[in-house]
Amino acid sequence: MNWSKYKNIATNGVLKNNPIFRLVLGTCPTLALTGSALNAFGMGLAVTFILTLSNTFISLLRKVIPDEVRIPAYVLIIATLVTIIRMLLEKYIPVLFESFGVYLPLIVVNCIILGRAEGFANKNPIFDSALDGFFTGIGCTLAMGLMGIVREFLGAGSFFGMQLMDFRIEFFTSAAGAFFVYGMFIAIFNAAYKAIENKINKKNFALHLEELSIKENN
Amino acid sequence: MTFKEFLKSKTFKCIIVLTTIALVCGGLLAILNDVLYISEEEKTQKAIKKIYGKDMEYTVVQIDEQDKTNKYGQIEAIYAFKDGNYLIQATGIDGYQSGTITAWVVAEFKDGKFNGLNSVSEASNEKQTLMSKFNKDFVNVYVNKDREGVINGKYFNLYDSDKEIGNISSGATKSTNAYNNAVNCALYYIREKLDGGK
Repeated sequence: MNWSKYKNIATNGVLKNNPIFRLVLGTCPTLALTGSALNAFGMGLAVTFILTLSNTFISLLRKVIPDEVRIPAYVLIIATLVTIIRMLLEKYIPVLFESFGVYLPLIVVNCIILGRAEGFANKNPIFDSALDGFFTGIGCTLAMGLMGIVREFLGAGSFFGMQLMDFRIEFFTSAAGAFFVYGMFIAIFNAAYKAIENKINKKNFALHLEELSIKENN
Repeated sequence: MTFKEFLKSKTFKCIIVLTTIALVCGGLLAILNDVLYISEEEKTQKAIKKIYGKDMEYTVVQIDEQDKTNKYGQIEAIYAFKDGNYLIQATGIDGYQSGTITAWVVAEFKDGKFNGLNSVSEASNEKQTLMSKFNKDFVNVYVNKDREGVINGKYFNLYDSDKEIGNISSGATKSTNAYNNAVNCALYYIREKLDGGK
């Protein structure tokens, strides 16, 4: 087992290449469905499910699908998975199905899914691709969920539908509020990411200098 | 290019691969569609649970063909409950882009007499893009505003008048029209066929 490789895939999906805050992909459902935490997490989980399976199938068929028709083939596979999710949600969680509205079928053309299919799954083995899909989906779920919690709390005074306070700022439930919260999160996430990266780089540089001085002394 | 060359060409491989993927996906979806099919009965039960918060026993009311349509739209289905109330699924016409809105309307009956609307909610729509405008405040107008007027023969329209009760969602006037028509369609049937135990 190559743990460092899997660790790398996980950190890439959740932090380094977080699709929402770092790559700014899937913006449309992010802005539209983060008005409530439940919708945001629900959408995130739907994307995770589809991303994991689409990466798995695309990786499985990567040697069979000719390069010339890879995009229509990916769209066929992704559309099938999205339709399955639609059927399952309509049957078992109709509340979530209704609240997703048009954004559920639009997952077919979600850049995150097509991006991972094109950028990772068609070049890597099945297990690695499935892991990449799963962790990218988790990164997406966490990002959307965080935005959903903040927007719901400030805009409706509730947390996952539970009313916590009467005070509310309607702006946060509007489209403009969605853009504002999204921008703030991107700024905070990237600032924190850069700070951590700088700290790690400094630490590595100090270790490197130490190694050099030991070599010189010897 | 000869037929043999075509069979060995990349074009042929592309066609075969895409067709195979499409057939496998189509077959899988056909099977799942059968397994996960939601029957009309199930849909009705879900709608009832959404409105009442619990499962309710009901009987399907047969609608005569000539009574199915009126100037406001079309009656899709009617269900009678043990408590004397009716659940009516009605489609209102003249919405945005000549589309329609189908609504669930619960009519309350007391001693066989119509006693106002208990609840109104959307079932489905065609071509309407601003359904999110119809929030709780909007549908509550059908239930609470001028209940006496509703009992005594008033219909809903965009603006208040002597004979009509106004209900409008600004920015979605056309869709409001279809929503009002759906409720009016149910009201028309109630007054013509159900009120007074007809």
